[in-house]
Amino acid sequence: MTMIEIIQFSSLGEFFDMGGYAFNVWSVYALFFLFFFINLYFPLLKRKQIIREQKRRSIVNKETATEISSS
Amino acid sequence: MWLWFSKLGSPKWFYELSGRWLPWLVIPMALLLVVGIVWALLFVPPDYQQGETIRIMYIHVPFASISLAFFPLMAVAGTITLVWKMKLADMVAKVAAPLGAWFTALALMSGSIWGSDIWGTWWIWDGRLTSMLLQFFLLIGVISLRSALEDSDAAAKACAVLSIVGCINVFVIKYSVEWWNTLHQPASSFSLSDEAPNPPEVWVPLVIMIIAIYLFFAVSLILSTRNEILERERRAQWVQDLVEAQ
Repeated sequence: MTMIEIIQFSSLGEFFDMGGYAFNVWSVYALFFLFFFINLYFPLLKRKQIIREQKRRSIVNKETATEISSS
Repeated sequence: MWLWFSKLGSPKWFYELSGRWLPWLVIPMALLLVVGIVWALLFVPPDYQQGETIRIMYIHVPFASISLAFFPLMAVAGTITLVWKMKLADMVAKVAAPLGAWFTALALMSGSIWGSDIWGTWWIWDGRLTSMLLQFFLLIGVISLRSALEDSDAAAKACAVLSIVGCINVFVIKYSVEWWNTLHQPASSFSLSDEAPNPPEVWVPLVIMIIAIYLFFAVSLILSTRNEILERERRAQWVQDLVEAQ
């Protein structure tokens, strides 16, 4: 038995229709992908922001340090 | 043991170690997710009663089961915070609360969409559903408690206590299906024999999805904890060196 033979749907249209439950099945999977994306993307985005912010801070700190030492 | 324990409590050590762990969690997570989702959507036979909606189970069950882990996790972290004042434990507890709210929300929403058809209703005040909704609100409570208290030590202690008390609800969720016999079904039994109510072609992809979602939980928790470490330890020399190197 090949993999193709045990696919439960005989056509692409049937696959999208999900036996009349297209809304239920696909909305749950869509929610899952949305959730998956959000929970990986936002921590990575936040990490970039923290590093950028920290870099800016250390530059400001160095500038103030040189100002204090030169005055 | 104690050396290991105090080492693990050091944010720097955890940051470095988790950086090495991450690829070993992300790669199996991605592989299992692809296998699990393709299997669940294409190869699982439709249920004799629920038809194709059985495919919702492969999202709903892993998320519902992992959402029960959040309160025990936060309670353990909270106890460590209260007893040993370990900084790392409080960081984990802090990032776990919003993540737990997300996971619980997805379990509730997927369950609701599933129920809308097979139960004929989006919502019912059944024991399982109500206790799960309570967990969602408790997690929102933990998040707001932390943001309401300005003193971070006081906030850590208050959240630790609320997390320990909140664990009671996990037992209520777990046994709700046995105490109140309403719409939500009790836990199913799985067995390797073909005569069992759930044959392997139904539960093997479920086990794959459960492992994949548990790995996803670990990955997202580690990513957020690492961010929390960078923020809280930003004055430490090693964080400044790390930022310079980026």
